[in-house]
Amino acid sequence: MTTVQFDATWLGGEGRLTPEDLQTVTFPVSRLGRRGYEEEPVRAFLRVVHGEFVRLVNERASLWQEVQRLRRRILAGEAGGDSQSVLFGEQDAHVHAVRILSTAQVTADRYVADAQAYSSRVTEEARLRRDEIVRQAQQHSDMILEDAHARAREAAVSALNDPAPPQTDREQRAAQAELAYLRTYSDVYRSHLRAYTEGILRGIDEWERKEAASFTEGASAQQVAPGQEGASAQGAIPGHVNNHHRSIGP
Amino acid sequence: MHGDELPLFFYSDLFIKHPQVRELFPVSMATQRGHFVDALVKIVSRADSVNDLTAFLQGLGRDHRKFGAVTEHYGAVGSSLLATLEHFSGPAWTPELAADWKEAYELIASVMTEAATADEQLQPAWWRGTVVASERRAFDICVLFVRPEPRLDYLPGQSVAIETPSRPKLWRYFSMANAPRPDGLLEFHIRLIDGGAVSMALTSDTIVDTEVRLGPPVGVLTLSQPLSSQDLLLVAGSTGLAPLKAILDQVTALPQPPKVHLFFGARTADGLYDLDSLEKMAAQHPWLTVTPAVSADPRFNGETGSLPDVVARHGDWSGHEAYLAGPTEMVQEAARRLISADMVNDHIHIEDFGWSEP
Repeated sequence: MTTVQFDATWLGGEGRLTPEDLQTVTFPVSRLGRRGYEEEPVRAFLRVVHGEFVRLVNERASLWQEVQRLRRRILAGEAGGDSQSVLFGEQDAHVHAVRILSTAQVTADRYVADAQAYSSRVTEEARLRRDEIVRQAQQHSDMILEDAHARAREAAVSALNDPAPPQTDREQRAAQAELAYLRTYSDVYRSHLRAYTEGILRGIDEWERKEAASFTEGASAQQVAPGQEGASAQGAIPGHVNNHHRSIGP
Repeated sequence: MHGDELPLFFYSDLFIKHPQVRELFPVSMATQRGHFVDALVKIVSRADSVNDLTAFLQGLGRDHRKFGAVTEHYGAVGSSLLATLEHFSGPAWTPELAADWKEAYELIASVMTEAATADEQLQPAWWRGTVVASERRAFDICVLFVRPEPRLDYLPGQSVAIETPSRPKLWRYFSMANAPRPDGLLEFHIRLIDGGAVSMALTSDTIVDTEVRLGPPVGVLTLSQPLSSQDLLLVAGSTGLAPLKAILDQVTALPQPPKVHLFFGARTADGLYDLDSLEKMAAQHPWLTVTPAVSADPRFNGETGSLPDVVARHGDWSGHEAYLAGPTEMVQEAARRLISADMVNDHIHIEDFGWSEP
């Protein structure tokens, strides 16, 4: 779908504003730190304006055709013809059919536009929620790593400080420290990961349950979005656990 | 003019008189009515520049082949156009005016149909394409492999319009992401646009094994001198990578490839959906440098910031041929920055679908 960026020359310019312009117009995002309107109320308003606009355009079209028909009738009357046959003549029947088809077409156009706007909104929301979930997962993974690292470091330090037999050389002490670090790190990491994975599984169960419930209720607006979020939340976690660079204590 | 009413009347009149023509059009006619008015405005505004107008009409005629327009339809369109003008002109409509319009329309139609007929000798109206594979690279990006029938030849960097069976009569342009291959397979990079009817169908999991239609190749984002020794700057935002990867593919086959610096940008790291294969290529070819950049994730381990900024930071691009593809705003900003950095306009290539932009 082509989107048209809002351009001040529309107002008072030669180009005419159409209902479709209202549906496709986009505005530049306000610069950082400056305040702009909330996007959704503006869009909601545009939808109302669009509906009204379409109604007016249609009304105007039928009035125009009515005027044409009456004008012809008058002309025929003036010419002394049979005004009844002009009123219900073949040409009028055709114009009438054109008008009916035009109304049907505009209605179909509106259904398609509404469906498109709806699908656009759902995808956009899913995208935003996905970003939020990924962000939270990143924060969470940072926290897990930080925690595991801090505690493992503690364990390593205490292994170093253990009163060791005098014959123990430095290498062995270092190896013990490393071992203590790794053991604690993996313990902490494992328990965090287990808790987190369980959390995700609970989320999936919940999603499944809701989806089943919404199917029994019939069509529902909620079903479409979670598919993408589930998949990407799972994908987001492992990518970040590998990035951590371990550094060992003293 | 009566805004939307005129094309609305025109199409309704056409469909009532020739119901079989309706199936050449999509369900929603809203965009179509806009195209119709745009084309009329272009024709009228170019009326005194015969060469321009002829080229425009020839393109229009060739382009209408894939929509299934044949010579007989032109007569039907002409009579509905006259009926529409008569309806809206009221008493101002005279036999002389009607004769003038008829003559003008017949001239337009003859230029269009002649170009279409000449084009029939050169290439099919459209190609059958079977989607043989789809790889999901990010939650909103898929790479598709399509086998055209018969073979479809094109210049690397060009695009074709695609129509899917689930969105009849809606054609959208996508660039091939490879140079023509011996097996003829075409690679496309599809990003799901919010609310985008065709991109939604193409990124759906059920697209594999479906038969799509492909229009003839178009586009000017092609190497100006394929064998020139000038170094290349390629700037790709998101799936704008596709045409540039095709050009890269073409350069790889040259006996002495020029130096190529490819910038590949996305909002977040997972939007760099093809970075693995690009980095493999860079490792293989000493003449190729690949710089990934991410604009909305400061954690990214690499260049961060808007792609035009990143490109500008990398210094002096004079003496390069630049090829830019991606979101319109990004491309325009990048072009502006390159020009203000003393790069000559003639050396900057961007995609231009001209009138037929979907």
